Amino acid sequence: MTRLLALATALFLVLPSVALAASETGEEEFDPAHEWEFETWVDLPFGLDINKAVAYLMLGTIVSCVLGIVLMRVKVGKEPTKRQAVGEMIYEIAQVQVAEQGLPTKAISRWFPYVASLMLFIWTINMLGFIPLPLSDETWHGVPTLAIFAATSTLSVTLALALMTWVFTHYEGIRANGTVGYFKSWIPEVPKALLPMIIPLEILGQFMRLISLSVRLYANMLAGHLLILTFIGLIFLTHWAVFPLSVVAGTAFYLFEVVIVVSIQAYIFAALSAIYIGSAIEPEH
Amino acid sequence: MLSSLFIAAAEDGADAGKAIALALGIGLGALGAGVGLGNIFGSMIQAVARQPELRAELTGIQWLGFALVEAVVFYGLIGGLLAFVLI
Repeated sequence: MTRLLALATALFLVLPSVALAASETGEEEFDPAHEWEFETWVDLPFGLDINKAVAYLMLGTIVSCVLGIVLMRVKVGKEPTKRQAVGEMIYEIAQVQVAEQGLPTKAISRWFPYVASLMLFIWTINMLGFIPLPLSDETWHGVPTLAIFAATSTLSVTLALALMTWVFTHYEGIRANGTVGYFKSWIPEVPKALLPMIIPLEILGQFMRLISLSVRLYANMLAGHLLILTFIGLIFLTHWAVFPLSVVAGTAFYLFEVVIVVSIQAYIFAALSAIYIGSAIEPEH
Repeated sequence: MLSSLFIAAAEDGADAGKAIALALGIGLGALGAGVGLGNIFGSMIQAVARQPELRAELTGIQWLGFALVEAVVFYGLIGGLLAFVLI
């Protein structure tokens, strides 16, 4: 724990370098919101340009693949190593806490890989978002400055993930119950007179899931980064004397985000995906 | 966007009003979420005090509730920021 604290503090002291680089150019005042204005790095046709967020996504993909291979592909039968223990812990959380809570038993073998990789992938991207990496639009004497940025703090990324879950939900619902049976299962048992009011609400509710699932992750990561960057930015917006206060407050938020929010959001996204898919396969009524 | 919130707010009356509205909106959202979080953790403490053997099962539900409630503040934040930028 002490080592973790020291590491986090050291990492954190690096963060003001972004702001320093920005203020050094002198062209613009420091503004945390600039972190979400992307410059195109590689221009590709059909809008497939590569920018900061895309680079983070690619890095996240590679890291989560490597994590999966390193932690899960271990030789069984020998003395269990630390690596194996971590891998088994992740697997157990994905199995017991996520898949078995939401999915009916017959659907686990089909949808466990999806929810488990969703969890690992989102956790990796969130975690990468709090490690200062030299992937930034700002440069300092030609070298990209260290910056924190999470790909999940852009709405397009989380909306794409939520859309995947949403499409799979309805696909599985129709496959398991038939088209008519599935849409009938949306309508709760209420007096006939209330139906004209309930049906639009239920249909709206299905779309609200899409919004709440994507905006929850997006807003959490965005707010976390904005808070940290704003506290660092206070130094440049007000007076250099607030440095100790802003670094302490920023570090507190940084630790809160890294220790709690990152894992909780990855877990919640996967768990809700499992619950949605499970409730479409086996409606309660 | 944010620095204009800090600096322009002091200069321009309309921006100051928007800044106050944004802060009030987020603050009221945080109020509701605070009550909700208190409820969740309070109930969790009671539940574990009565039946300690259920702790492992309850922890998952607790964090699910925590994330669902906590997100409400950020809906307020995003709505406030959108209103601040667009209007």
